[in-house]
Amino acid sequence: MTTHKKLDRSGALSWVDHNRIYLIFVVALLVMTAFAPKFFNVFNLTTISKTAAMNACVAIGFTIVMICGHLDLSIGTVITLAGVVGLGLKKYVGYEISVPLALCSGALVGLVNGLLVTKVKISSFIVTLGTMTILQGLIYQITGGNSIALSTPDAFSVADFLGHRLIPLVTPRVLITLVLVLLFQFLLSSTRWGRNFYMVGGNKSTAWLGGIEADRQIVVAFVLSGLLAATGGVFFAMESSAATRNMGDNSLMYVLSATIIGGTAMSGGKGGVFRSFVAILALEIIYDGIILFGLGNEVKIFLAGFILAVVVLYEAYASYRHDRVVGQRSELLAELSAAGRGNRSTDAASSRG
Amino acid sequence: MADQAIAKADARSTAQGRFIHFVNVIGIYFAALLFVLLGFALQAAGVITNFASAQNFLNIVDNVAMLGIVAVGMSFVTYSGSMADMSVPTTMALSGIVAVQFLKVGFWPAIAAAFAVGLVIGLVNAVVVGRFKANPIIWTLAINYVCMGIIRVVWVNKQIYPDMIASTKDVSQAFDAIYRLEVVKGLGGNPLASLRLPLVMMVAIVIIGQIVLSRTSFGAQLKLTGSARKAAKFTGVNVELITGAAFIVAAITATLGGLTVTSLSRVGAYYNGAGYDFRAVTAIVIGGMSLSGGRGSIIGVLGGVLIIGLINNIMTLIGIPTLSQDMIRGAIFITVVGINAKSLRSLGRDDA
Repeated sequence: MTTHKKLDRSGALSWVDHNRIYLIFVVALLVMTAFAPKFFNVFNLTTISKTAAMNACVAIGFTIVMICGHLDLSIGTVITLAGVVGLGLKKYVGYEISVPLALCSGALVGLVNGLLVTKVKISSFIVTLGTMTILQGLIYQITGGNSIALSTPDAFSVADFLGHRLIPLVTPRVLITLVLVLLFQFLLSSTRWGRNFYMVGGNKSTAWLGGIEADRQIVVAFVLSGLLAATGGVFFAMESSAATRNMGDNSLMYVLSATIIGGTAMSGGKGGVFRSFVAILALEIIYDGIILFGLGNEVKIFLAGFILAVVVLYEAYASYRHDRVVGQRSELLAELSAAGRGNRSTDAASSRG
Repeated sequence: MADQAIAKADARSTAQGRFIHFVNVIGIYFAALLFVLLGFALQAAGVITNFASAQNFLNIVDNVAMLGIVAVGMSFVTYSGSMADMSVPTTMALSGIVAVQFLKVGFWPAIAAAFAVGLVIGLVNAVVVGRFKANPIIWTLAINYVCMGIIRVVWVNKQIYPDMIASTKDVSQAFDAIYRLEVVKGLGGNPLASLRLPLVMMVAIVIIGQIVLSRTSFGAQLKLTGSARKAAKFTGVNVELITGAAFIVAAITATLGGLTVTSLSRVGAYYNGAGYDFRAVTAIVIGGMSLSGGRGSIIGVLGGVLIIGLINNIMTLIGIPTLSQDMIRGAIFITVVGINAKSLRSLGRDDA
């Protein structure tokens, strides 16, 4: 009886843990609605969805790479690169060509990352740290350290179009992100091609035995990561009509926190795009609330790092606990301790008798 | 018979191992020599001037002294199989800014406060990565962001200056001297050339590091933990403690580096130490230390540091802007890791 109850309790706990990101989202929304001044109105909520749109887009690719068991540290600089390429080339070839070029540059970075990880077999952390540094230099080379700002009427009309409200909370840029999130969530959860990412991340040799070309799958993941980071970056730059040299600098921290809070395992094989999206929204709600409380950008940066640290620590501690009790059969241990207690009491009774 | 054969094979494999190790270390200094020759060639071709002078070579080692200090500490982390300590940049910034703040009390309290901060960060990393086995990269990145947040919140984007905070002029001068103290003045009869404290510290740390890694039981335990964690555990090595200790070493050297950088720039700010994570990893990798752990030496890392110094020097003399140099540094980094991985694989010694 007792063991049955215990199992139920751990079942409920694991349900909470499994769906924690939705709970965090709801709690954050409720708390901010109740306490933060001027939080719950269409204007502010639209601001949140617009702010979240870029990082949500970036988080899709980052999540896929992490599901494969790898890490892409270059996303921040890919965002900036895409913005710089997309806006910098506009005056020569127009958005029709510069935006595809920006997306291609992101995909190219992803392809290089993927090939170095799979063919040369260098750890993804090292590869992407390297490409990140190369891109930083390249971006400085292109921009000369200045921001690229467009002030032509057609650039402004594109910016206005991307930022105007279609329905409450949704602008065209948010819509693009939403469509991408839902598309990749569907692909990852419901197609064989998408499920293969989980196989590769969960157990590479099983994946190989199952007939999956793990290397190709990993390259595709990195290309998607670069492509989606570029998508987020270029549309964000177009909406603000400006690309600064450090526009993507904080994204790695936000996207990494959101992906891990969303339940994507650092070791791979587990996670989901939609969860990362909800996590980005939840974090954005919290950050927006902090600004509304008048706490300033410094507290926001501190809290972003703090949340990431807490989540990583929680995950590590959970697996540490799991490792310690794995293989132990709690019902037998309970029986043993119950038997021990019984013996002791009978011993005591007999000695007294 | 069989035992003897095994023993013989064993001896040969270690002799071969020693040979490969020797070639690795020599190879790094050979590469450094190639860069020196490149510098001479460029000067002969008239592309750069002032390369071939004793003063310039002193500048090169002087400029990488701080990197050397930090890289030696971080190579303990790499050696123990935890890849890298990404919290180094803000450990440097935070310990530096705390030291400047505590100059109000005095010089030695400031140094003590800086080391206290460094030790706390090291201990946190040690517990979380060592005991709870968190992913070292992601955890130290998180700690990096947390320390950045702490600096931003406490000092609200302000920079603080030692000469304005220090209680007396002596104290601020003492702090300035961390970078500027001339241990040996007028080297070789040249009044401008002198051996400064960072360089002396780097040489001392390299020697201590090399001895600890190659001659002590702690070093042997680090090697075993880095190359075969499970085997180390079953041999009775306290792998949790050893992994953690490596992070504490890295934090201590990062604190030393942070104090020196802050003393050099005469300002406590959040961006002190930025980029040192990547540069240290580059030095470690060029220096022949395997990122999968358990292979390499501090002397090799010193070679990597010197190569970085030479590359930086040549690029600066050619006139490439500092930020654009990142491109070349990154490319060299990836190439070296690639070649390293490939050659190890072809030797059949790649267990990554």
